[in-house]
Amino acid sequence: MSASCELPVVLPVDLHARPAAAVVRVVAGFSSTVEISHNGKNAKAKSVLAVIGLGARAGSTVVVRGTGDDAEAAVKAVVSTLENTE
Amino acid sequence: MGQPVGIVLVSHSERLAHGLRDMLVQVAGEQVPIEAAGGTDDGALGTSYDRILVAIDRADRGAGVLVLTDLGSAVLTAQTVLEDRVANDAVLVDAPFVEGAVAAAVLASTGADLDAVTLAAVEARDVRKL
Repeated sequence: MSASCELPVVLPVDLHARPAAAVVRVVAGFSSTVEISHNGKNAKAKSVLAVIGLGARAGSTVVVRGTGDDAEAAVKAVVSTLENTE
Repeated sequence: MGQPVGIVLVSHSERLAHGLRDMLVQVAGEQVPIEAAGGTDDGALGTSYDRILVAIDRADRGAGVLVLTDLGSAVLTAQTVLEDRVANDAVLVDAPFVEGAVAAAVLASTGADLDAVTLAAVEARDVRKL
């Protein structure tokens, strides 16, 4: 049974290379597919270049969406990573 | 997690290869073996068979090595090294130098295998910046 989960997060910093890389490492630990959306653009969370390419700035909101057995845990882990990167 | 896939950066410029290596270490961390092989044996612009061979051997921790090149003779010299090298666990990838290296190094830092790291570098060609 496949689950899905979606949560918004306000970025404390620009979504540049280092936080994007941290997201890739976090999602690697889950089986679910995770996407991040910003301003009508969608990025697979496992693609560091796609996440950087969202061009999401500090203070803006991105939506993290997961599909799969561990979707809720995966989305929460990504949100936590985005909230706590410097 | 086993040993990560290694990354080798082959450039005509020693400084370009080292500068890109610095960027990759910052995003992928110190655990991923990343070696720069830029310039000729005496550090001039060009490529060095020996520098590339040494870099591949250093980056090889048992999970394989992905080799990225900038242009032209860097590709040819890297191909020659890979043809001659006894251990055949290194792969030359057709990918953008900077973007491909960033994508590959970050994926290598997750513990992904050589096929997945190679695919990340290849896919870098299709990701738009703007």
